[in-house]
Amino acid sequence: MKQAYTFVLLLFFGLLALPGHGQQQPPKLVSGAFNHTPFGQFVGQVEAQTGLKFYFDPAAVDSLFVTVQAQSQPVATVLEQALQNTKFHFTTDNEGRVFVYQGKAIEPMVMADFLSPQPVEASDVAARPDNADLPATPTGRSRYVSAAEYKVYEIGSGGTGRATLAGHIRDLKSGEPVIGASIYSESPNVGASTDQFGAYSLTLPVGRYDLKIRGVGIKNTTRKVVLRGNGKLEIETEEDIVTLKEVVIEAEKDKNVSGMQMGLEKIDIKTMKQVPTAFGETDLLRVVLTLPGVKSVGEGSTGLNVRGGATDQNLILFNDATLYNPSHLFGFFSAFNPDILQGVELYKSAIPAKYGGRLSSVLDITTREGNKKKLAGSGGIGPLTSRLTLEGPLVKDKSAFIVSGRASYSDWILKQLNDKNFAKSSAAFYDLTAYVSHEFNDKNSIYATAYMSSDRFRLASDTTYRYLNQTASLKWRHTFNNKLYGVLTGAYSHYDYNVSSDGNKVNAYELKYSIDQPALRADFSFFPNSRHTVDFGVSSQFYRIAPGSFTPLGDKSLVTPNVLPREQGLESAIYASDRFDITTRFSLSLGLRYSLYQALGPRDVYQYAPGESRTENTLLDTLHYASGKTVATYHGPEYRVSARYSLNDRSSVKAGYTRTRQYIHQLTNTASVSPTDIWKLSDGNVRPQIGDQFSVGYYRNFKSNTIEASIETYYKSLRDFVDYKSGATLVLNPHIETDIINAQGKAYGVEVFVKKLTGKVNGWVSYTYSRSLVRANAGTPADMINGGAYYPSNFDKPHDFTMVGNYRFSRRFSSSLNFTYSTGRPITLPLAEYYVGNSLRVYYSDRNAYRVPDYYRVDLALNIEGNHKVKKLAHSSWTVGVYNLTGRRNPYSVYFKATNGQIKGYQLSIFGQPIPTVTYNFKF
Amino acid sequence: MRPAFPLVCRGLAWLLVLLLPACVDPYSPEILAAKRSYLVVDGFINSQGVTTIKLSRTFAITSLPKVPNETRATVYIEDTAGARFPLAEGATGTYTSAYLMLTTGRTYRLRIATAAGVLYASDFVPVKITPPLDAVDWRAEPTGLGIYVSAHDDTKATQYYRWEYEETWEIIPPFSPSIEFVNNAIRPIRVLYPAQCWGNERAAAIQLAKTTALSKDIVSDLLLRRLARTSDRLYRRYSVLVQQHALTKEEYAYWELLRKNTESLGTLFDPQPSQLTGNVHCLSNDAELAFGFVGAHSLAQKRIFIERGQLPFDWPFVSGYEACVPPDTAKGNYIPLLRTGFVVPVSEVRDGITVASLDCVDCRRRGSANRPAFW
Repeated sequence: MKQAYTFVLLLFFGLLALPGHGQQQPPKLVSGAFNHTPFGQFVGQVEAQTGLKFYFDPAAVDSLFVTVQAQSQPVATVLEQALQNTKFHFTTDNEGRVFVYQGKAIEPMVMADFLSPQPVEASDVAARPDNADLPATPTGRSRYVSAAEYKVYEIGSGGTGRATLAGHIRDLKSGEPVIGASIYSESPNVGASTDQFGAYSLTLPVGRYDLKIRGVGIKNTTRKVVLRGNGKLEIETEEDIVTLKEVVIEAEKDKNVSGMQMGLEKIDIKTMKQVPTAFGETDLLRVVLTLPGVKSVGEGSTGLNVRGGATDQNLILFNDATLYNPSHLFGFFSAFNPDILQGVELYKSAIPAKYGGRLSSVLDITTREGNKKKLAGSGGIGPLTSRLTLEGPLVKDKSAFIVSGRASYSDWILKQLNDKNFAKSSAAFYDLTAYVSHEFNDKNSIYATAYMSSDRFRLASDTTYRYLNQTASLKWRHTFNNKLYGVLTGAYSHYDYNVSSDGNKVNAYELKYSIDQPALRADFSFFPNSRHTVDFGVSSQFYRIAPGSFTPLGDKSLVTPNVLPREQGLESAIYASDRFDITTRFSLSLGLRYSLYQALGPRDVYQYAPGESRTENTLLDTLHYASGKTVATYHGPEYRVSARYSLNDRSSVKAGYTRTRQYIHQLTNTASVSPTDIWKLSDGNVRPQIGDQFSVGYYRNFKSNTIEASIETYYKSLRDFVDYKSGATLVLNPHIETDIINAQGKAYGVEVFVKKLTGKVNGWVSYTYSRSLVRANAGTPADMINGGAYYPSNFDKPHDFTMVGNYRFSRRFSSSLNFTYSTGRPITLPLAEYYVGNSLRVYYSDRNAYRVPDYYRVDLALNIEGNHKVKKLAHSSWTVGVYNLTGRRNPYSVYFKATNGQIKGYQLSIFGQPIPTVTYNFKF
Repeated sequence: MRPAFPLVCRGLAWLLVLLLPACVDPYSPEILAAKRSYLVVDGFINSQGVTTIKLSRTFAITSLPKVPNETRATVYIEDTAGARFPLAEGATGTYTSAYLMLTTGRTYRLRIATAAGVLYASDFVPVKITPPLDAVDWRAEPTGLGIYVSAHDDTKATQYYRWEYEETWEIIPPFSPSIEFVNNAIRPIRVLYPAQCWGNERAAAIQLAKTTALSKDIVSDLLLRRLARTSDRLYRRYSVLVQQHALTKEEYAYWELLRKNTESLGTLFDPQPSQLTGNVHCLSNDAELAFGFVGAHSLAQKRIFIERGQLPFDWPFVSGYEACVPPDTAKGNYIPLLRTGFVVPVSEVRDGITVASLDCVDCRRRGSANRPAFW
């Protein structure tokens, strides 16, 4: 094992050392005498002599005159002299194009070979911005060339100055939109990326362009356009089948450096599929957990702790509908069928103003749109679950559907285990997703999603647990013109759980909790010109929570019903943001979101004696609010500011400040997420949480953007998040405020991330040093924890190292290796026992003063593809893997039991031995 | 009303065991086995009576719960003016004072010098006067016998209350053996087993109330104890002594946290415990911990008796000896059986004897044969 790991590492680093590929061109020479020659005329002569093609804005150079003498001198020298003391610069590429422009020089060093007649080092050339076109990848695959690439598209007419080009990028075969693909012109350096609908909008000076299109899972392509005025260009791209396991993030090639966003992690489904998991099935949340700054308390938990935030501080959106419990079976599985996913975006800092309502992160999960051209399907068979997806057109090229389902057969396995304890047990879950999109015309499209996930289990007892997520969203996208489009979204989220026990007819009960959240939002994107991208919109969501009901089950039950009154609240927000490219090097994104929350009646609000710890005994009065009356109002601005400064085209510095407000709180006094956790709205006694985060990062790409590296550091302060008094009761507590306290937190850390997503060896390595500290020092000493000092939160794991590595032996055979190390989770230990007040007492350490042993795990997976014949019934693949290869017993929980009056400690490890898995996947 | 929570936790543990190759290993970091012997002070300064303080030591979590008493310490009560009232060691680790009448308005503390010469002191605390118990009531209810306390303080000075109680009940064994087994032979019994014993238990539960949210300082009908209808303590005669303590706000907070800490041990699924020591500090070494909260107040107490005849007649008679009757009969050669010592002979029957376990015969196994002074 160790050898294998070393081998992969060696390969990994060996590749880093490979020299880049390059081309050399002989320098072009120019002769002639120009005296106050108009620039256009000068260009004409140079073009004639050298065959180079010049690009410039004729309007801008009409007052530019050239005075220069040249005798067989290199073009660059001549140009340099010609443009000396003017505000013009020039740049060139290796396809014989020269760009003359105003303002700051784009990248003087790329002219290395152009300026000097001497042969140059290959590595210098490798740094060229258009190097993406070179066969830099060692795969040797040919560039995809189609007729569309040669055709010259004439767009618009009669325009002068600037024009806006808009349209969609779609997959040639399925008609699905390509999300997050870039379309850009290299001179001037203007680009845009497609949104979730595959739409882009690009504003350029009128003229002739070679537009490059790059995207995840699509073949690189170009379009030649002559832009004469505003117009549309629909682009179809071909799927990159061969690179199935290669994962090209070329779309984002230099996004690491040039993109505005910081603290953003994007993973597409192909990357996710490579990461080995315990049950062989691709698991979105597991992959997210390998990213820097994302942690969880234990293996069985999908509760994410992003940059020191609590598990309830993540906004999980599934096609824009909020999801409250994204996991199955206590968190061993993500509640998403991997076959339907397009990808996921995780915002850790610099959260766009569009999003709000949670403090720490936004996890935006999008599904695929479905094949618009023909009926297709895919599926998989794993050790615990199976899944099936069908997709196809409803109206060819106009509308498509995709439906998928996944179900477990753990119930069946339990039945096979010949044990009478297990015979009474059951554990079953399923999830269903349906998505329909329809394009009415160029300007209007609608998208509808319905999602449901259900879990039901009964554990060697007479108690049945059930929980259910249901979401639906309907989106209408309307394009007003090339510069403005809007999306109107209606979404509905529902989550409930239900615990019932019927073993004893007299005590039979049913415990229920539910939350409903309808939401409506309108988002607009406006591209006034190529330097500004303006987003604005409004949103409003209504929460309706049934915080708990305990009712008798059956006629014979003597349980007294206890139904807590409903909670209601309305959260509204308005936002606007502008991304302003001040210069090509410096961009600024300014955003402001203003959110308003109203807790609504009918409701009884308890008043407590001031200055006292809130308990039932300090309850003074009860105020009743009628239906629809506002019980409490909170509002405030949320600032979203970020800036980028490019040091050069390979490195940049970014900084950001984000404020977030959260009005709904998850109550859980267990360290991990459990299905009986409840969500509580802010009200007169529970204040909203407020978070501020400052972050700074340095980004650098190596080896012509094939290796991305970043180092980000952040400091975060959290106010009024929920912590619990010792011995808090959360279930069916009518005065929950007596058991919770408003705590303060701070978190800081450094995240180092190196990612290589092309080539035979790819993957990423991340290291995070981070701390997450909590302080509860408000109120009376009884409410303080650890005497009011800062203490480590439950998920404070300072050191975290992850490596996800893949090695492709051949096109059909690849392997993945996962390595994870992190510091152990903090725990509170009992230290001593003593007798006081006639009973044995235990002396505990300070809260979270000790740690469980460190966590360490290695996983290995092999992917075997079927043959690559294009025409065959079904494409299939096998995934064979071993989870926890070394069999290390990582403690999931540490607990103490008193045996014969003696207290003994035990540690429970869930995956205490290597777990082999086999999964069969197919696609037709 | 919190059935779901622990169930889920246990459920999860089950699930893990069941679906996954989960492993449970002993977890014994050195930190747990480390010897932690800190002074524990249990008791309060009685402002109107005898002060009794128990001194002991903490012991490691992993060791058996055998309480190490702290003997030969020098203990005295001290006020801010410097007046001292010594406590003398009686039973091992138990120190008592003379009958004291402390001055209200002064503050007092407990000073301890261990035999090893380490000095401890509690914080100075004001003296509180505990108001008398207005009533200790009992009611026979469908759910069983409820014992309720009521108290009030017109001066509104008490506000924080703690109660302790001690139960005493009669035990009547079902058999009074007429024979005994001595020297491998049966003979008529010479010293009869006691026909009656008295069980006694001091409750471990911490009972607290505060009236800070009320306009008057009144505790009314607070449920202190609930006995099931089938409790063997209600077989003949039952008595409960309720002791009431007036606390300061700080002492109340201490007991409240102690109660919560005792409810569970720290697992992943239990509520977070808190660190708690009290108001006793080591003067010789700041880093040395000490446990216990020494308050200063008077004690109010009240005893009530409940006769079986006062309880509803449809409540079952449960003696606690139900498993003993009828006695077993041993025939033939019963000497080897008796020699094992598991059973004692009860009476002679035709061609044999009846036997019962010692627990069924000797009520001293369950209580004391000495009649309490108040009985």
